[in-house]
Amino acid sequence: MKIHLYQIAVIIVSSLMIYQGLDRYFKKQKNQSFLKLLIRVIVWGGMITIVVYPKISMSLAELIGIEGNINAVILVGFILIFLIIFKLLNAIEKLEQQITEITRKDSLEKIKK
Amino acid sequence: MNHKNIFIVIPALNEGRIIQDVIRDIQKAGYEKIVVVDDGSSDDTFSKAQELLPDTVFRHRLNRGKGAATKTGIEAAKILGADIIVTLDGDGQHDPSDIVKLTKPIKFDNFDVILGTRLLNPKGMPKHKILANKIGNFFTWYLYGLWVTDSQSGFRAYSRHTTEVINTQSDRYEYDSEVIREIRKYKLKYKEVPITVRYTEYSMGKVQKQSFLNGLKTLYKMAWNIIS
Repeated sequence: MKIHLYQIAVIIVSSLMIYQGLDRYFKKQKNQSFLKLLIRVIVWGGMITIVVYPKISMSLAELIGIEGNINAVILVGFILIFLIIFKLLNAIEKLEQQITEITRKDSLEKIKK
Repeated sequence: MNHKNIFIVIPALNEGRIIQDVIRDIQKAGYEKIVVVDDGSSDDTFSKAQELLPDTVFRHRLNRGKGAATKTGIEAAKILGADIIVTLDGDGQHDPSDIVKLTKPIKFDNFDVILGTRLLNPKGMPKHKILANKIGNFFTWYLYGLWVTDSQSGFRAYSRHTTEVINTQSDRYEYDSEVIREIRKYKLKYKEVPITVRYTEYSMGKVQKQSFLNGLKTLYKMAWNIIS
């Protein structure tokens, strides 16, 4: 089996990302959760799987019903990115509401005393 | 129920030049219970308002938007014992002599919310504002299911019961539309009342008012609130 340069690069980068995630999780660093670790392993692990076994992308294409394996990979990538953006926007929205709530409590302090 | 129980809430951002005139106008119309919320202004809005209202001016340390400031003002009015809460803009565009038209149906006919509407009497209103308003009304109806003639008006009156029932989350201009959603959700008894608007050089010149871009942002936030 001929190994291309891009496969080595993706494997190295992805392995580093997974290692970093595992390291943070097991050292119990702040803000680390099992869900975050799982997402990291799925995303980067998925990339390793696809570059090591490119034929998997054909099965993925067949499963989704899209002609062309690259199109299927890009589509799945877009969906993942969309989900991440959605989660980020939700988190920002929640933070904004919390900031407003704190600001409100602070401003009403003088009549609540 | 008399004037003592009617609270006027003014959300204000960088209105230092005009806030005292707005307060005095309201006082001249016979309303003494006035709450001003300075929404993180960079000018002297807070101190100017406090000169006239030593105890009922509140300050957001950070700018949180018109909706957030209005909600803070309503919360303050509730703590201070309000029975009816009237909200109006801090740039002087609303005429305090209209307050009585907004509070009467709550006092005597058991209405929950009265919406001041510019479009039942749009005389003097710039055409682009009429158009923007109609677009806002359409999307409010489309997303929230209730047709009103001025979904973006900040001149409104609420019964105390209403302020305890409605639960708005929006901080910015989409707050006004969110109130419409809550009216429908809780089947509140509402009425639209024509108001006169004073489009002065000052109120028209303010940059942070509802511009086209802000309108798009408002629309995006309304849609986001539904899907998130």
